[in-house]
Amino acid sequence: MEYRQLRPIYDALEGSDPQRALKECDKLLRKHPNHPSARAIKAYVLTQTGRTEEALALSLSVLETPTAMASAHAQQGLTLAFRALGRPHEEIMVYTAALAHTPNDETLHCKVFKAAARNRIFKEQHQAAVQLNKLFDNPKYIWWLVVSLLLQARDSPKNAAAQVQLKLAERLVEKAVADGNLKSVEELRVYLDILDVQDKREQMVEVMDVNGQLAALIANDPDLVTQRIELLIKTQAYGKAVEAAIAALKARDNWADYKLYIEAVIASVDPAAAGASVSTICAHLEAWAADRDRARSAKLAQVALATRMFESGFGDAAGLPELLIWGFIDQFQEKAICYTDIMQFIIAHHKAAGKYDAQAAVIDYHWAQLEKRMPAARESAGQSDGEAQAWVNLEKVRYLMQALRGETDPSAWLADIEVLLNFGLTSKPARKKQPACSDMTLLACQRIIQAAFLAYGAMSARAQLHSALFKALCVLESGIRLNEGNFMLKLYAIRLYLYLSCYERARAIYDSLSIKHVQQETLGHMILGHGMMLGCFAADMELCYDGVAFYDRFRSKMPRDIESVYDQETYSNIQDFIEFQRNLDCSVQHECTHRYALRGEGFEYGSAKEMVARWEEADTRSIEHTEESLGALHDNRDISVMGLLTPKDLAQWDLELLTRPVPMPGHEWIQAFSLVPQIMHHMVCAEIELLQAKSSELAAIVDKHDNALPRSDLILIRGIVDMVALYIQATDQQHAVDVQLDKLVEGISANLPEDQFDSLFVLSSDGIRNLSAASELFTYALVLKHALSAQHLPAANAVGHALSQQRKRALKSVNALRGWTDKCTRSLVSDQWLADGDDAFAGVARFVCDSQKQTVLAVTKACSTSWLRSVKNVLMQWEQCSS
Amino acid sequence: MSTIRRFRAMDMLRFNNVNLDRYTETYDLGFYLKYMASWPALFTVAEAPSGSLMGYNMGKVEGKGELWHGHVTALTVAPDCRRLGLARGLMRGLEDASEKIHDCYFVDL
Repeated sequence: MEYRQLRPIYDALEGSDPQRALKECDKLLRKHPNHPSARAIKAYVLTQTGRTEEALALSLSVLETPTAMASAHAQQGLTLAFRALGRPHEEIMVYTAALAHTPNDETLHCKVFKAAARNRIFKEQHQAAVQLNKLFDNPKYIWWLVVSLLLQARDSPKNAAAQVQLKLAERLVEKAVADGNLKSVEELRVYLDILDVQDKREQMVEVMDVNGQLAALIANDPDLVTQRIELLIKTQAYGKAVEAAIAALKARDNWADYKLYIEAVIASVDPAAAGASVSTICAHLEAWAADRDRARSAKLAQVALATRMFESGFGDAAGLPELLIWGFIDQFQEKAICYTDIMQFIIAHHKAAGKYDAQAAVIDYHWAQLEKRMPAARESAGQSDGEAQAWVNLEKVRYLMQALRGETDPSAWLADIEVLLNFGLTSKPARKKQPACSDMTLLACQRIIQAAFLAYGAMSARAQLHSALFKALCVLESGIRLNEGNFMLKLYAIRLYLYLSCYERARAIYDSLSIKHVQQETLGHMILGHGMMLGCFAADMELCYDGVAFYDRFRSKMPRDIESVYDQETYSNIQDFIEFQRNLDCSVQHECTHRYALRGEGFEYGSAKEMVARWEEADTRSIEHTEESLGALHDNRDISVMGLLTPKDLAQWDLELLTRPVPMPGHEWIQAFSLVPQIMHHMVCAEIELLQAKSSELAAIVDKHDNALPRSDLILIRGIVDMVALYIQATDQQHAVDVQLDKLVEGISANLPEDQFDSLFVLSSDGIRNLSAASELFTYALVLKHALSAQHLPAANAVGHALSQQRKRALKSVNALRGWTDKCTRSLVSDQWLADGDDAFAGVARFVCDSQKQTVLAVTKACSTSWLRSVKNVLMQWEQCSS
Repeated sequence: MSTIRRFRAMDMLRFNNVNLDRYTETYDLGFYLKYMASWPALFTVAEAPSGSLMGYNMGKVEGKGELWHGHVTALTVAPDCRRLGLARGLMRGLEDASEKIHDCYFVDL
């Protein structure tokens, strides 16, 4: 009967028509005003129509109705409503109220547990688990209780109750083991976790005994095999660790086990007989190296052992690291992974040599080895992809050596560049699209970029830097034409296009990479925000909304995934899932995406009333940050994907750092762009004290951290601080606002284009960024003017007049820039960026002009079109804005 | 040569060098989490000595009776880690886990 009454509502919800569902709810409630299910479902429907305050009030009212929870429909409606409202405690109260009617309903008890689990309310989760164990005989619930205790203890480790909880969990597991109820690897992992949190390593070792009760479970789980070796090392049972590592390595070729074998041996070396101490491991590695299927691991392990012995002061007891490094390279140089494998050991050996003042000698040695091998490698590169890859790997080692010895001469970085370019782009293997050629092209680009920054890193040489980077772009695009699938070429191309202020082409390449879902968190930073800086607001907003939708979906779905871990009894996932959830919920990129979305929405033009209303209604509470909350943000942005050839601590040779078009947004940026919407809100609501406080905070960020913020954002932020000063002066109607108004107008004017343009540098440097910032600031200034009018402050007229004049000037100068960009930039690229000079890049220019004409034309067009698109967008913005 | 271990949720923040390859699909988060939650022993990753991820294998078990089997949902190796026998190693791991942990009769694609 109840279902028949509710069916029209359910049909409407299934048809995704919440408005109709609302009508059906109201229709039913007119006939039966106290119908609990209709009220509960109406509460949920209200959440779907954005009427959250009404939804909350109704939900709480239904919850307080004693008999309401007897109905399954009411329970479901109300739990959905509280879930949508983000009220997990109230959701749990729905279930506990329902349990008052059916106290032995196992499903309801499970729902209480899962609601607490998915919302990480560990205390309630524990209590629910206790109830489940008391009332129902299911071994699974013992583990739910154990896991709840563990999570509770981990969540508040300093809490006195934590130790009690862990001991109780341990006892429950011991009983389960004794009763034969520990049957799966997942349950074993929980047991080990409990002991690990209590630092009971000896006991963990006992549990993991190869002859013990649980040995069969461990043997089938490679991770546990490795974990056992680790534990033996941590408990200083080095002999047993060595035995376990050897047994593990005999069964499988696993790098983690090699590392632990080496660690156990090094920890037990007798300094008086270092050679003898390592003779067994050396013999093992030698034997395994002779087995073709595991030669790579064993050979690399030999390098790792020798390097570690050298670092630990045992000299060449396990062999000379440099000899072994070259032995490895000689054997595996035809594999693309060779350089990545060996790079860390070359760097570690070089670093350790510093103790003996031998770093120069180490580099000289490596250089001599390179010189011995390079000619033959170049000669035979055309014979197969393997031979070509061997040459690429040697070139990568050469790159590293130059960085390690601090090479700052650009011509040294560009020596033989044409040889590399020819092989990568015009040779027979290149025409056959061999993968190694694509790698060579990337390497050549990396050299060109490195040389460019070394030669023209100073501010005064920026125009020449841009010219050099343009040539690098031509090489990258040529490489992309030959091998569309090489994503590293594309990543560098995105970076360089943005560096030269060319958003449209950068965005097209970014889109071709099909970056989606979790990659928005890790790679979104490559493009997000750059559109706004370069006049392409709508394009950036598209990405912002995709990003916001991703985070919203994650937030609503992740709790379900945590819940499913309990259903599937794969408890080892819980801590991992919780950590992942925390990481994504509180991440730098998450915050940046939301700030960019807010910023883009603030930029949308509308009538005076609309613009003021937008800021009046803005939710600025949820974006407030403290130092503590900023410090808790996780930075998951992936910068390692750019495949650097040099160690991170060599900043001058860090291409990822060098090619950043602007500083990456960090805490200061997030805080600044959290304050801007708050300031706008307080201004339109005439909340003077709050406005002054927030403005001072914003000014302090700029004063202390101006290096951490992009220059164009500084223009905007300083302009907003000036705006606030003007507004406050205006509210004191005794004084004129001329000084403040002039300062604000100057902040905009100074960043408009000048009258004459003769250099591409106008566009490729900060010109477009500063212009976009000026346009954005003007939009905010319009809101100021509308707020002054709405609040009947006399300064509104003066501000309106000044902005109107400003707009006329802007339209004129931006129009002129648009015309010049359209007519002149393509020919200027030839004149200013490709002409043969006598600089080190002449060879590169010659190469691209002679052999990559089509690409040069395409890149020229891409730059020119991108700039024109940006300028046109900005012009459109000015045309729309009217005071 | 690599460390082959269970895939963890946090690995999704590090797999761009594998997933940017144009033949590798990046699924919705829930898809990966479901496989981790349901069949953790069949979702493994290969990690290089340098710490970067080299490739991964997603599998599950399904079927009834004698058709109870392991299934390879996705197997991918980063472009610069190919021709090392990595996929073979990941598959061997999936076959072992299907047999020893899930007691399957066979594995299919």
